[in-house]
Amino acid sequence: MDRRLFLGFAGAALAAPALSRAAEPVRLGLTPVFLDNDAEVILRLREALGEGTGRQIELVQKRTYQEVTGLLLEGGVDAAWLCGFPFLQHEDALSLLGVPVWQGAPLYRSYLIVGAADDAIDLADLEGGTHAFSDPDSNSGWLVTASDLARMGRRPDEFFQRSLFTFGHRNVVRAVAGGLTRSGSVDGYVWEALAKVEPALTARTKVLSRSEELGFPPFVARREMTGEDAVVALRSALHSLAETVSGRAALDLLQLDAITPGDVSLFEGIRQRMRAIAS
Amino acid sequence: MMRVSALPLSLKVPLIAAGMMVLVGIVASQQVMTSLGAVQEERLRELARLHVDGLAIALGPAVLRRDVWEVYDTLDRATQAMAGQRLVLTVVADDTGRVIAASDPTRAPVDSSLQPLMQDAQAVNDILLTEAAPHVRVLSDLAYQGRTVGKILSELDVADLIDERRRVRLWLLAGNTFATLILAFGGYLAMRRMLRPISDLAAHMARAEGAPGPIPADRIPEGDTELRRLFQTFNAMTGAAAAKAEVERRLAERERFVSLGRLSSSLAHEINNPLGGLLNAADTIRTYADRPEVVRDSVDLLDRGLRHLRDVARVTLEQNRLDREGLPLKREDFDDLKLLFAPETTRLSQSLDWKIEAASDAMSRLPAAAVRQIALNLLLNASTAAGDHGTVGCSVTERDEELCLSVWDTGSGLPDEARRRLLSDEAVMPGGGVGLRLVRDLVRGLGGRIDYFRSPERSTVQITLPLAGPAPC
Repeated sequence: MDRRLFLGFAGAALAAPALSRAAEPVRLGLTPVFLDNDAEVILRLREALGEGTGRQIELVQKRTYQEVTGLLLEGGVDAAWLCGFPFLQHEDALSLLGVPVWQGAPLYRSYLIVGAADDAIDLADLEGGTHAFSDPDSNSGWLVTASDLARMGRRPDEFFQRSLFTFGHRNVVRAVAGGLTRSGSVDGYVWEALAKVEPALTARTKVLSRSEELGFPPFVARREMTGEDAVVALRSALHSLAETVSGRAALDLLQLDAITPGDVSLFEGIRQRMRAIAS
Repeated sequence: MMRVSALPLSLKVPLIAAGMMVLVGIVASQQVMTSLGAVQEERLRELARLHVDGLAIALGPAVLRRDVWEVYDTLDRATQAMAGQRLVLTVVADDTGRVIAASDPTRAPVDSSLQPLMQDAQAVNDILLTEAAPHVRVLSDLAYQGRTVGKILSELDVADLIDERRRVRLWLLAGNTFATLILAFGGYLAMRRMLRPISDLAAHMARAEGAPGPIPADRIPEGDTELRRLFQTFNAMTGAAAAKAEVERRLAERERFVSLGRLSSSLAHEINNPLGGLLNAADTIRTYADRPEVVRDSVDLLDRGLRHLRDVARVTLEQNRLDREGLPLKREDFDDLKLLFAPETTRLSQSLDWKIEAASDAMSRLPAAAVRQIALNLLLNASTAAGDHGTVGCSVTERDEELCLSVWDTGSGLPDEARRRLLSDEAVMPGGGVGLRLVRDLVRGLGGRIDYFRSPERSTVQITLPLAGPAPC
């Protein structure tokens, strides 16, 4: 498997009704924070969801979570694949459609990584260095490290000599592996997926610490849209993704098992870290 | 070590041609290397220009925002895309010279100073390629929206270009050496062939030993070439030389008669003087035929007079005998000379000092004709120089396997012209006679030498002849 893609999906199957091809397309917002712009993954995902919904799928890709979240909230897309952090930030306006299952559970961890030859042993040793975050609205790519620092009474902008956002978990690994920054905060699922498809890249990094298990980035839609045909169809397609050939192919590329309906309680750990930041 | 100027023409000319070819090869190689260097540098400038311009377009906004990741991401992708190619390192700095990002952050960390890397950096349009370093650094301003927002420093791998130069130089060297050797060898053969007639001519002249003969027609080069004309000129010169030699031979032959001619007056007196006595004796016999004692005395007188006439006639004939070649010199030859020459001194009222002291054995090892001619010519010359009432001397001695003939006189010495004829090979002025030049030629033919001494009262010409035969002059 030579994809350089990451992320997961979830889905439940729905016997795809032979809906009219003329129906409005389902617009799904994505961000390369997880999903690097791999043409084949995009294609397979669209095919699988199209088959599952019986509608055309329009994948709308934005650079940041903020852009996708904004697009979702203003109705520019019907649903989006977001991180748990922005989901909780807008919990009152959003509802879960599904949570990807990775390695048997809808959970993942945040990794704190450094260069392979770095002699740091914990976060405190990284003070004064350069650090790569993935996105300011990413749980694993910012919130976990920021909250860890908050618990130490520190802030990223003063703890690190310089920190930067790469807007992609893979980019965090590239930044650390290439020596641009000393350390980085990365999605554990992405790092593990990369370790399989690009072992030479991850071999130049090492995991300094792993967070507790947290809720996997979910598929969400606006609460008022949950009854809409498009959203209903999408939810069904997501939940049944592992049961179709095309869905299975897309999940395999994403190294995911399935997409489960999930529950907001999965994101309790993230909520606690948000509180740490707020305090 | 042989000097170049001493080399034969058939070797020197091809060597010069080969040297010229080597020179041409060096100049041509230098031109090729210069052109190659210019092409490489222009190629490098173009590459650097494209690189910088491309990056300026791609990175302008990111540099303006000082977006470290965007800059790094762009550089990293460009590096990945060009992996294994010429660009080794690209560093982008802001307008203050602080590094924003580099394709290899370990060499140029974020926020570090660009200054250390700027050493040895060249401007894009002034890139020069040297063989000292396998990398070239290029520094350029990063312009965006019409203003300079940062700097781009690129390090280019030029090892392949340097290798190419070295390879080209090596091939040029090997190729030129090979071509030069081949062409020099070909040139050597061609020149040898072209100059062979010259060698033949030189060899022919060397073999001629002073008597050059014409070159056979079949050895003369074909066509209307300089060489053909040279050969023809040489043949014409040999003909002229032969004719000149023949003229000289005839002159020498005539000289014998000339010398006799000069003596004819004296000889006439020598014959005439006794004739009066002889006629008186005849009258006395006729008058006193009946007086036996008078007749006997008159007959004795007649006998002595006739014998003297016979001797004069004999030596005159002897001097002009054509079959005398090869006869050895004898003491009697000098007696003959004295008999022949003495009347001339008598005519001029001169004293003659005559000393023949050499042994006959020694004399017999020399040819009579040549020595007689030498002595006679010198004596006649001395007699002329001595003038009336002067003294002429002749001595022949033997020492250390040499015969020494000295002829001296009390005259005023040899004039310059006469001295040149006797002592040098300079061309003789026409009309001056050939007597002394003939002496020189005869002495040389016998391997001898001529010395001339001048004291206040006498001039001496001394001829020294080796008894062991002719030796090189």
